[in-house]
Amino acid sequence: MGINAERADGTVIAKADGRIDSSNSREFHSELEAVVADSDAALVLDFEDVAYISSAGMRVILLTAKSLQKSGTKFALCSMDDSIREVFKISGFDKIIEIHQSQAEALSAVGA
Amino acid sequence: MTTTESGQKHKILVVDDEPDLEPLMLQRMRRYIRTGVYEFVFARNGVEALEALDMDESIDMVLSDINMPKMDGLTLLERIPDVAPDIRAVIISAYGDMKNIRIAMNRGAFDFVTKPVDFDDLKFTIDRTLQHIREWREALSARDKLVVLQNELNVASMMQQSILPNKFARNNDYKLFGTMQPARNVGGDFFDVVGLSDGKVGLAIADVSGKGVPAALFMMSSRTLLKGAAMRADGPGEALSEVNDVLNEDNDACMFVTMIYAVYDPETGELTYADGGHDPPLVVHADGSTTQLPVTEGLALGVLPGFDYHQHSHRLEPGDTVVLYTDGVTEAINSEEEQLGLHRLREAFEQNPPQDAEDAGHRVIDLVNDFAGDVPQFDDTTCLVLRREA
Repeated sequence: MGINAERADGTVIAKADGRIDSSNSREFHSELEAVVADSDAALVLDFEDVAYISSAGMRVILLTAKSLQKSGTKFALCSMDDSIREVFKISGFDKIIEIHQSQAEALSAVGA
Repeated sequence: MTTTESGQKHKILVVDDEPDLEPLMLQRMRRYIRTGVYEFVFARNGVEALEALDMDESIDMVLSDINMPKMDGLTLLERIPDVAPDIRAVIISAYGDMKNIRIAMNRGAFDFVTKPVDFDDLKFTIDRTLQHIREWREALSARDKLVVLQNELNVASMMQQSILPNKFARNNDYKLFGTMQPARNVGGDFFDVVGLSDGKVGLAIADVSGKGVPAALFMMSSRTLLKGAAMRADGPGEALSEVNDVLNEDNDACMFVTMIYAVYDPETGELTYADGGHDPPLVVHADGSTTQLPVTEGLALGVLPGFDYHQHSHRLEPGDTVVLYTDGVTEAINSEEEQLGLHRLREAFEQNPPQDAEDAGHRVIDLVNDFAGDVPQFDDTTCLVLRREA
């Protein structure tokens, strides 16, 4: 698991990779916290290279969504493969977190 | 890290019957004694050395001659573990006395120096020995911490096992069976069976986010809340809504639990269920064909207060088997890193319809174990089965 992030005009695009599970969810959380600042307008988290996310990883997504909501930073996820999309659908997380097909769609949705 | 950098004084017990060694050692090592790196204490033979080790727990290492009256250095080596098991000894031997050096090493000496003593080499040997002792102590302390952690995990694991029903009502209308195969690092799966009024029965299966002690605690409160809500609530949707609202109070840790809660009415064969962000029930018909029941568009519990959970009803036919499972089943991984997937579960039942509820439950666990092979699984594998008999 790792995160690569770039920032342009207050929008952070973070790309995670590998498996996100209870063995590295803490690291995932601290890396995610490190790439985004309260002053950022939006965070787009790209799942293209993520192979698996467990409930421990979903919890980090939830914590991130809640803290970004407090700082008024928009948050969107994108580019999930079908099995991960299904995890977000079954858990109902797609009802509270924006998910888009592509990075371009996510960026335009957050107004970048 | 050298002794100097550690900033800690090390006490070295020197054992030799030659009275000359003590002043020589104090003189040649004076710089390190003055700066507080070493402190030397002396004994004249093995008996005195054992007494000193027994009296003074702050001694870090022993530097001993071999030939001494009363008790020689080789015998001392054998006895040290009885009084001070974590101490390391360095032997001073005559030059070229390989026989005694071999015996000393075989008896657990950490290293040796030869006479006449080269004090630069001795300093190096002492530092190397002390470095080893520090690392050894760190490893011991890490091991102790691990044991504490392991004990906590064992408590969490026992808690998890102890709340699961292990006797299932058997009657002519329906049969129940549930089983959980825990992951190595304690997940947070549970299932429950609740007797309700009018002969109805409540069935719950759940998966708490994360692992270990926090997951186990969250699991306990979820299960207790559900039991209470199941008795009071008018249907599964209302029960989940109630549990969700309570779980959302003071949930700064953002823990959550996915859950199916279903109520079966043996009078009508009607199964009414609500999903809290959990895989919907799978119905296996008598001929082995399967139907996945629709989701009720729920959300994991503990995520959003005030969420309105809906429910859905499905009529079971005699011979139908409802399989509730956690994602430890469908997300089991094989050596090729493939997921087991719902399709393999359905295929397994299609090829070989279950004989009864217990057979269906065992078949789910067997399927996971056969699929996973030697690959360690990181999630609990849990299923709860109801079969309508009549």
